Amino acid sequence: MTASTSRMSLDSALTALARRRAEQVVVSTMTALAPWRERAGTDRDLVCVGFMGGASSLGLGVALARPDVPVWIIDGDGSLAMQLGSLITIAHAAPRRFLHVVMHNGVYDTSGAQPLPAEGAVSFAGLAGAAGYARAVRFDNAESFDAALDELLEVDGPVLAELMTEATGAAYRVNPPPDAKPTPVLAQTWPRVARALA
Amino acid sequence: MPLAESIPAPALLDALRAAGVTDVVAVPDTHQRTLIELLQADPDIRFIQTTTEDEAIALAAGLVVGGRRPLVQIQHAGMYASVNNLRGVAIDGGFPLVLLIGLLGRDPRKPPRENFDSMVRYAEPLLDALEVPHVLLDGPADLPRLAEAARLAAARSGPVAVFVGMTTA
Repeated sequence: MTASTSRMSLDSALTALARRRAEQVVVSTMTALAPWRERAGTDRDLVCVGFMGGASSLGLGVALARPDVPVWIIDGDGSLAMQLGSLITIAHAAPRRFLHVVMHNGVYDTSGAQPLPAEGAVSFAGLAGAAGYARAVRFDNAESFDAALDELLEVDGPVLAELMTEATGAAYRVNPPPDAKPTPVLAQTWPRVARALA
Repeated sequence: MPLAESIPAPALLDALRAAGVTDVVAVPDTHQRTLIELLQADPDIRFIQTTTEDEAIALAAGLVVGGRRPLVQIQHAGMYASVNNLRGVAIDGGFPLVLLIGLLGRDPRKPPRENFDSMVRYAEPLLDALEVPHVLLDGPADLPRLAEAARLAAARSGPVAVFVGMTTA
């Protein structure tokens, strides 16, 4: 496979998704997390912070508990690479309304934009297709993703959309040490999602 | 004189039911092979297999969000492999998860932390370091500890480990 030369902005990719935001449970992680929550966050948003690679497994659990609720994952390429076996687990579990978006910017964006191993060769859509996802497609511009998204959301089975995105340059910022023990963000958010689903 | 004896898999399955378990999220464990065989055929408890223990913990957390009462079934080696998700999902996320952990290779004549095998010896001290409560099933008489572990996990909003001391029969 040759390297993709065309990439979309993260913002344009999230815009296409935000336009369809309704009752889905959405699990977001890493670079996309903050802009997604600002743009389209609801009480059905879960976050994957501090356990890189776990977003899709967390979302799969929700999907298996509540097959009536669509689940979207907004994943990162470096994140997914850390738990690549999750593609096999998801394909086997075959959640029916499960959109797995992978923002493929080719770098570890928040840690200084170090390139992914095998960047330019690896295809996450190819890996997902080989694992047994119902559909796996790569997009290198937001217009084609936007045009295909409604049809992808109708697929009966897990779908992976690999979006070739530009790096944002958003470096990770270390917060100052708190004076009191904070409640981790996942502990803040999941009870709200559980209540929304109850 | 052994300290531990095997637990028959049907009795362990009954204990899972008594604890209200709806789903078992598992990575195969030689130590609990006979229980896995029963779970795979069980009509009531859903058996979900993952490729890593990290996944198992995160997936089980998602099941909790959706209103289920899952249990994570792994081996001690998998516990070591999944420490970050144990910390970042189960502990920090405050998920009431019970982990059923097989102590493969455990010398039944000794308490786990006195075993020569490092996988057995470090299992309890690791969870002590992570402030995760744990209990040991060293025979059928210990089975009520499983439901107690589930109650404790719910009460503390966090993980509780249940070690399976000997290979299930």
